[in-house]
Order: sequence, then structure tokens, then C-alpha cells
Amino acid sequence: MSKLLNRPLKAFIFYALGVLILSTPVYYLVVENIWFDELDENNIIVRERSKSSLGRLESMGKDTDEMLSLWNTLQPNTNLTPLTGDLPQRDSVFTVRREAQHGDYSELDRFRCLNSLIYIKGKPYLLTVETNVEEADETFVAIAGVTFVFFLVLMTGLILISRQISKKIWTSFYLTLDRLRSFSLSDQQQVQFPETDIEEFQSLHQSLTDLIDENVTAYNQQKKFIENASHELQTPIAVLRSKMDMFFQNLKITADMSKEVDAVNVSLGRISRINKNLLLLAKIENKQFAQEETLDISQILNENIEMLGDYFGAKNLNLELDIVPVLEKQGNKTLLEMVINNLLINSITHSPQEGKVRISLSKSQIVIANSGENPLDGQKIFQRFTHSPDNVSNSGLGLAIVWEACKNKGWQISYVFEEKMHVFSVNF
Amino acid sequence: MKILVIEDERELSADICEYLQLQNYRCEQAFTYDEAIAKVNAYEYDCVLLDLMLPGGQGLDVLDFLKKKRQEEGVIIISAKDSLEDKIKGLQMGADDYLAKPFHQAELAARVYSVIRRKHFKNANSISQGPLEVNLLSQEVKVNEAKISLTKKEYELLVFFMGNKNRVISKAALAEHLSGDVADMFDNHDFVYAHVKNMKKKLIAAGCPKYLETVYGVGYRWES
Repeated sequence: MSKLLNRPLKAFIFYALGVLILSTPVYYLVVENIWFDELDENNIIVRERSKSSLGRLESMGKDTDEMLSLWNTLQPNTNLTPLTGDLPQRDSVFTVRREAQHGDYSELDRFRCLNSLIYIKGKPYLLTVETNVEEADETFVAIAGVTFVFFLVLMTGLILISRQISKKIWTSFYLTLDRLRSFSLSDQQQVQFPETDIEEFQSLHQSLTDLIDENVTAYNQQKKFIENASHELQTPIAVLRSKMDMFFQNLKITADMSKEVDAVNVSLGRISRINKNLLLLAKIENKQFAQEETLDISQILNENIEMLGDYFGAKNLNLELDIVPVLEKQGNKTLLEMVINNLLINSITHSPQEGKVRISLSKSQIVIANSGENPLDGQKIFQRFTHSPDNVSNSGLGLAIVWEACKNKGWQISYVFEEKMHVFSVNF
Repeated sequence: MKILVIEDERELSADICEYLQLQNYRCEQAFTYDEAIAKVNAYEYDCVLLDLMLPGGQGLDVLDFLKKKRQEEGVIIISAKDSLEDKIKGLQMGADDYLAKPFHQAELAARVYSVIRRKHFKNANSISQGPLEVNLLSQEVKVNEAKISLTKKEYELLVFFMGNKNRVISKAALAEHLSGDVADMFDNHDFVYAHVKNMKKKLIAAGCPKYLETVYGVGYRWES
């Protein structure tokens, strides 16, 4: 993964590099052409001047041979040689490389030459004008060097500018990202996006706000629906339970009937349990347990274990306790009891007969563990209506309540399976 | 003993009345806020059962009205809302007890029994039946003047049965009475058998008549 801004930067850098590499030979060719044009022009001027000088010498009646050797000595850039045989029809322009003497050393130099045919006293002579030209490789290296320096300047500039842009423009974007990350549907807080004068961001913010608003509305409707549905169900459940109570009173119940009645009661119990738990969840989500007081967690834990004593006893569970005597913390009593109770009930419900339940309380955590055969899916067990395969009659909401209650108070709940024990820990 | 049942759900109200009437209470019903106010204004009751959500008004306003009249009736709130704030508020405003729906009729009867006893027999802290005598203050149980020792749960069961004479009480209702709300979270309430069996054994061994009858597969009945 690379940052968004680095992608175009990389592309820009590669493109600039390509363009600059290509430009080097082009520059070279252009420079070389201008050079040659200028030098050719210069050679022609020299030739014209030479012609007129030679014309003047000729009219002064000088000896041709003497004049020739004098000329060749005084004008090192030009050379006059008598021509015999075929005479060239046109002037010729060319480049030669040869050794040239520079004081006491010589090196290979490049020359631009012009060969012209001139007549002195009616005899044909070849006038050669030559001008030293910069070596091709020297030109090339110089251009490439300058190009490279500019490439470095360009790159530094691009990087600096993009950093600057990133700081200025993208701050708003990263702020948006942070706000989105900290957003949680259940918190019901409005997301305030940062002000921006960039059209795309503005439209992103608008779309996000719309999306969030829609989701919050849908979430609230759903929550309200569950809340209302379970409220509405309370009364019919109360009537059903009351009817069952009345039913026992008026009839002589046979053994067969009692079985059916028992089955009805169990189902009724389950409905009432699910409904109660759904209402509890709604209340936790609505943050109805915000009041905090100083609690003795140790005392509350012991009280709840005692209250469930009969149920531990009914399954003959081997109870191992390791509870610190006093542990005072700030918290909400109802929420804490909800967490403890549901974990205890969970440990009883899912233990085999004669199983083991280990409960410990230390300075910073409660651990409630019960024996079991196979590990559970730690991702799923805290979700609503996740039933264990062996027990279908529990509400499937107990651990969801624990999860919500812990989330509400910022406690950490975790599950592991070790040494054939399901271990639930709450860190506060 | 006169009881006013303020409850808008007619079926529930009828059941409550039927159950309580067999305990020799006289019941009257009010289904709306206005009816409730009219009745408590015109008559006196020993105990008022009050639903918090009524057509036409709030149950807590009825409670307020009752308390301003300064009468001696006991008030038990029966509510589907089951919210701690309502409970605290109701009790602070002078209600004697709070019972969340759904509840067992036996539990309601036991609460009514307890409230009326507190209000009307301030000095008589004992209840008795034949040779059996239960002192509610010291929690002592005597049969033919001889003290017998019951565990806390056995004692609670005994008082519960005596407040629900001649009624069949289910295991679930007994479990809920003993363990409170958490009983709701279990299907199996067989531990109740053990407590009842022990209590019964102790009573019979002390010479108490066999008041408690087992209703097969359902629960128990305490005969008067």
C-alpha cells in the first residue's frame, strides 16, 4: 500500500526523467546544427575576406609562390593550394577530425571546413577555410550534465510541493478519515466533518453525511422497533403466565396433562426470558445505566454466586473460588450485576453435570470459567442469538448483554478455551 | 380485606381478582386513570395494585393522589416497564412494593399478604394455622410450642405457602420467589424439590398436620 499522493508523484518523476533523457540528444542536435550554420557562415565570410585580400595582393603585383607561402603562414585558419587536374564544380562543406597542435601538446580536434575554388592570375587554387568546433562528446556531456542538474531541481521541487499540498489539502481529508473511524452507530453522535474549499471533499462530506444520517435513522428505527415490540409483548406474556397459573387452580391435572403444561411453561419461560433480555439490551444501548457509584465488586460477586447457589448445586458443579476480599471500583451496580449474573448463568447452563466452575477476582479482572469439551467460536459467541449446539433453550442473548454492558463501561471482555475450560475474563 | 386492582389489561385484572378472591379478599377493578381516581376518591381500600401505564394518565399520578389523601392503604406497583428509575421513584413516592410483569399470581398474592399484614397487624407479628406458628419478626417457627429450625430458604417457602393457601403454586413460581429474577433464566427448577422436601419433613416430624400437598408434575398446594 502506498499513499495516494505518492502515486502521481512517482509517475511525475518517471515522466520527467523520460522527457529529460529524450531531450538530451535533441538539444545536442539542435546545438550542433546551430553551431555548424554559424561556422559555415563564418567560413564564407573568411573566404570572402581572403578573396578580397588576395585580389589586393594580386593587384600589387606580388609573386604568386611567395604570396602563397606568406598567406599560408599568416592565415593559419585558411590554406591555399594550387589545383591541377579536375576542378571541383561547387564549394564543399565538411567536418574533419585531426591532430592539432596546442603549444607543446597535441590532441584530436574537430574542424568545420569550407573548400572553395578561387583563381589567382588566372590559375585555379583551392582555398580551404577551417574552424575549430567543440568535440561532439564534450557537447553531449555538458548538455546531459545540465539536464541532470535540472532534473534534480525538478524532483526536489515536486517532492517539496507535494508535501506542502499534502499538508494543506489532505489534512482535511485525514481529519475526515479520523472522524469516520471514531464514528459508531450505537453512540448516536453526529459526525462533524471539517470545513473544506475543495469541491470533491465537500461532495464527499455531503455524501457521507447523507449516508450516516440514513443509517442512524434506520438503526434508531430498528432499535425503537425492538424496544416497542418487547414492551408490547410484556403484557401478553404477563397474561399468558397468569392464565397458566389460573389453569392449575381449576382443573384436576392428570400426569399426561402435566407434561404438556410443563412444555408450555418452558416455552413461555423462554419467550419471557428473550423478551426481558431484549429490553435490557435496548436499555443498555440507550445508556440508561449511566449513574456511577462506588461498588464493592467482591461483595457483589459473592452475593450473586450465593443467589445462584441452588443452581450450582442442582448440577453438582465443583465450584472453585479465588476472590479478593474487598475490591472497590466506580461503576453502575445494575450493569455490573448484569455482567456477573449473565457470565455465572452462562457457566452453569453450559457446564456438564458434575462439571467444574472456576471464579476468580483480582485487582483488575474477573475470570469465570467452566468446563467444556470443544472450543467455541470466539468471534460469534458475543453476537445476539448465537446458540451453542447442545442447548437451544437459552435466550442466546446473555453474552450479548455482557458484551454490550462491557462496551458501555469500557471494560474488556475476552474468551479463550484452555485446559478444557471456557474462560471468560472481564478487565476493568 | 378490600383490594383495588388498577390494571388496563382486562384479562390480567380478572385473573388477579379471581386468584385473590379465593384468599378471601374482596376485589374491585379500575381500567382507566379516571376510574382509578374516582374509586380511590370515593372508597377506602386495604391494598391497591397499581399499573404504571394507564389509558388517560400515569399510574404514578394516581399514587401521588393516594398519598395526598393520607390514607393507610398499601400500594403495590405492577409494571411492565421494569425500570429501576420507576421502581425507585415509586417507592420514594410511598409505594410499598414493586412487582415487574410478567409475575406469578402466587408471588403477587404473597406480596399483597405481606403488605396487608404490615399495615393492619402492626403488633401481631405472627401467623398461625393449627399447631403451626410463625413469628415473622424473629423468623421463628414453632409446632405445638416447640421450636423447629428451618433453613432460610425453607422458612421463605413456608411463609410463601401460607400466604397462598389453597392455591396450586408452580415450581417456577417457587424458584422465582427464592432466587429472584435470575430464576427466569433457567428452565430447570428441580432444586426446589429438595428444599420443599426438607421443610415438609421437618414440619411433619415435629407433629404438624400434612398441610402441604404435592400436585403431580406441577407444584404444591397448601391446604387451610
